[in-house]
Amino acid sequence: MSFSPSGLLLASLLYLILLFGIAWFTEKGMVPRRWVRHPLVYVLSLGVYAGIWAVYGAVGMAAESGYGFLAYYLGISGAFLLAPVLLNPVMRIGRAYQLTSLADLFAYRYRSQWAGTLVTLCSGGAILALLSMQIQAVATSASILAPDTSPAVISVMFSLIVVLFAMLFGARRDQNSENHQGLVLAIAFDSLVKLVALLVLGGVILFGVFDGMSGLESWLDNRTSPATTMTLSIDDGSWRALMLMSFAAALVLPHMYHMTFSENPSPKALAKASWGLPLYLLLLGLPVPLILWGGQELAVTTGPGFFAIGAAQAMESPALTLLMYIAGLSAASGLMIVSTLALAGMALNHVVLPLKTPKDQGDIYRWLQWIKRLLIAVIIFLALLFHEVVGKNLDLSILGAISLSGTLQLLPGALGVIYWPEGNRRGLIAGLVVGLAIWVVTLVLPFSHTANLLAWLDAPLIPDYSNWHIFTFVSLTANITVFALISILSTSTSEENSAAQACSLGALSRPQRRELLATSSSDFVRQLAEPLGYGVARREVERALGQLKLPNVEYRPYQLRRLRDQVEINLSGLLGPSVARDMVKRHLGFKPMAQGGTAQDIRYVERALGDYQNRLTGLAGELDNLRRHYRQTLQNLPIPACSVGEDGEILMWNHAMEALTGITADDVVGARLMALPEHWHLLLDDFNRGPDLHRYKHRLDLRGKPHWLNLHKAALSGPDHTEGGSIILVEDQTETRLLEDELMHSERLASVGRLAAGVAHEIGNPVTGISSLAQNLKLETDNPDILDTADQIQQQTRRISTILQSLMNFARTGNHAQANRYEPVAIHRCVEESINLLSLSDKGLGIHYVNDCPPSLQVLGDEQRLVQVFVNLLANARDASPEGGTIRVSGKGDGYSAIIEVVDEGSGIPGDQLDHIFEPFYTTKAPNKGTGLGLSLVYSIIEEHYGNVQVESPANADTGRGTCVRLRLPAYEPETGTIAISQNQRS
Amino acid sequence: MYIYRLVFLLVLAIYIFSPNILDWWTSPGNVWYSPYLIWAGLIAIGFWLEWRRDPNEF
Repeated sequence: MSFSPSGLLLASLLYLILLFGIAWFTEKGMVPRRWVRHPLVYVLSLGVYAGIWAVYGAVGMAAESGYGFLAYYLGISGAFLLAPVLLNPVMRIGRAYQLTSLADLFAYRYRSQWAGTLVTLCSGGAILALLSMQIQAVATSASILAPDTSPAVISVMFSLIVVLFAMLFGARRDQNSENHQGLVLAIAFDSLVKLVALLVLGGVILFGVFDGMSGLESWLDNRTSPATTMTLSIDDGSWRALMLMSFAAALVLPHMYHMTFSENPSPKALAKASWGLPLYLLLLGLPVPLILWGGQELAVTTGPGFFAIGAAQAMESPALTLLMYIAGLSAASGLMIVSTLALAGMALNHVVLPLKTPKDQGDIYRWLQWIKRLLIAVIIFLALLFHEVVGKNLDLSILGAISLSGTLQLLPGALGVIYWPEGNRRGLIAGLVVGLAIWVVTLVLPFSHTANLLAWLDAPLIPDYSNWHIFTFVSLTANITVFALISILSTSTSEENSAAQACSLGALSRPQRRELLATSSSDFVRQLAEPLGYGVARREVERALGQLKLPNVEYRPYQLRRLRDQVEINLSGLLGPSVARDMVKRHLGFKPMAQGGTAQDIRYVERALGDYQNRLTGLAGELDNLRRHYRQTLQNLPIPACSVGEDGEILMWNHAMEALTGITADDVVGARLMALPEHWHLLLDDFNRGPDLHRYKHRLDLRGKPHWLNLHKAALSGPDHTEGGSIILVEDQTETRLLEDELMHSERLASVGRLAAGVAHEIGNPVTGISSLAQNLKLETDNPDILDTADQIQQQTRRISTILQSLMNFARTGNHAQANRYEPVAIHRCVEESINLLSLSDKGLGIHYVNDCPPSLQVLGDEQRLVQVFVNLLANARDASPEGGTIRVSGKGDGYSAIIEVVDEGSGIPGDQLDHIFEPFYTTKAPNKGTGLGLSLVYSIIEEHYGNVQVESPANADTGRGTCVRLRLPAYEPETGTIAISQNQRS
Repeated sequence: MYIYRLVFLLVLAIYIFSPNILDWWTSPGNVWYSPYLIWAGLIAIGFWLEWRRDPNEF
């Protein structure tokens, strides 16, 4: 059974158009995003690993070495099952530093452009053989189906379509998404087609050729040859070599690195792939023995390598034959597209850009895209050339072996990235050069029939198809030995050490805190405009600012250092790590180091540790808890504190400091003291630079109010911490200072009170004399006018006596030494006395005081202190009342309580002040008019009397004016027959 | 790093003995699909470990 060339071409084109369609619809957003980012799609896309091996190569190898073919699947399955210790660390580094290929990873870790270039050249050379293998498989399968077609034409046409696809869907670089979603879905579809085709063929053979499992078992029982029943003993050497190469493939094959790390949607997807990919490969490997046995049973004429097509042909099923052809086509195209893309990216970053940095390009993104497209075309052209000249004469399996043993040379360096921080660039490059040289001499040249140096030299071992694995191990061993020896013997640069730290497991990079030449993000744009052009520089800086959630213009040194790192990471994704690093180093430089060394970036380390929070276990976890504890202690310290680096950069700003200054830590940590508002900057900077360790009662006006601050300073350096800097404590002494002032004021008032009491006592005697003289005058005359005058004199002297008595009583009330003496007190009399006292200082406003308290209303309390309550309440009411206003005091009994209300007609108290009026020193009066202590005193006296105070304002809802102060005190009910006599009554 | 060294040792041991393990799997007494059964068992263990894994774990 054969097909016409045009029919085969049409089928191929239709399938590839379908692939284009899937990619195109995905790129246009017509496929739901959650499908595209689903772990299943990711796992299937990783199936690109198998390539043509899955459909043709595996069966061919099964015929020769039985289950030895499984090594190609088991090695990479092992690598994925070990993903948490092998792949996750690489993914973490790749994501953090935007490293999109193995060459990027090497260039970043070993800080060497040469390392990146060497990896690119090694991968490129090795991949050519792999690409040639794919082209050969497609061309051969097509010529089996349509014997009239020319394999060369098929090869060229197939290559052209692959170039077109890779250019359209792979070279695009979306600034918002690093993934090529259309490509990923198309590759996943490829893998699905391949799997379904193989399973269908396996199923058809099992049930169509062998009549089910029992038929197969009896067929196997009738065969005794180990080659037929696949019970061949495994060849240890080639098995181990293939297993190792397959294991390494997860990291070092460009297309696997690209799909696993660069196109990874999330760490979760990689975790699923850790068992998902082995499962997929298991399903791919399952039909292989069936296809082999089916081919043998059907006496297929093609070689075992193409039994998949041959068996389908022998069963006379055109549909199945075409399906197998399409499966091979899809496997080959998927692998070719992804590996070409990955290689083009590597070549761009590590071969083209180091030679030619895109200067004066209108649009650097477009320029990069076109260069990448050109590279894709060049790579495929080279692969085609290699195939036509060398590859088509070689066996599929030896092409695979040459390719994989070439990329295997990258394994020591790749493992060194994660597990061997001591490895350095000299060791890596020397190891790679030696390993690659042996690979070329012992594998590439002999098998490509170019030059067999070992044969010329008459060496004891000459490479052939049965011992290729020995040379693979020799080259790898030489590579590892040279790498290790030179790394140990030579010294690493500090730059390399810090990159090694950043890459090794669980390590934090500890960058130094150095000052950038640029002082703001606008300077960044200006400085980067030189290599990148203004538009691109601005776009990149804005993108980095957006990613870090920083304001549009940033000036804080700490944030500028973060911005510099982010710009480098982003440029690394665009131009590769070496070019990005050089560009950032040259154009976003640091100021020269002062005083021989700089401090560590504490804030940076702290932030990085914060990100690690849940990952630290054991001792590291305990230390982290301790760190958090001390940090929290400092943050929650009720005394404002901040620490400042030697260069004046603020390193810590605690909560109390935030409350005092009204400046949040986020705004100032990492900034200079200079960046603070002027009054704070002048104070703290001056104090920080000055020689004094303490400064007392420094006056600072904050928000219009004076504050008094004590400042203390201590140097941070000590035996355990050699870095400079200081910690500054700021004590707010404002309340203490106000209390002191009030105390002095009260002291003055008390002196005045004592003086007034003395004066009152002294005035009392002459007044008594005047009263006696008036009495005498009344006895000595009958003249009614004189009698009337004498009466009036007596009346006035009584009034003076009452006033003096009240004054003396009030002066006594300040004495708190005595315990409260609770006696029944008539509220009416208290109010009356208070009114008398206030009349003394009536400011001529004509205020009318009305005492409506019933004389019978009594409470149990200290009369003098209650008078003090009413004096304060009435004085407040008077101060608030308009001229000629009335202040009414009313009282009533309410069960066991007495309720007294003081109501004025004043302006009332605003709602927002009502909550504060009982606080000490809270006053709304003008300075020197009130102390703010009156109502606080009222509150405490009423509390002492087991009562409470309510304030309502406005008291009159109609006019919206007036204030009502309502006192509730425990009422006194005189017992029958006993009348309590208050102290005043006795006097 | 201790755990990684242990893992490395284990992987190396499995790698060195893998041909013998496969020979044992494919010995004539076993059914033809027995290598796949053992492979599937490994995948099941991998699935179980991934399912139980704390997302914050290293």
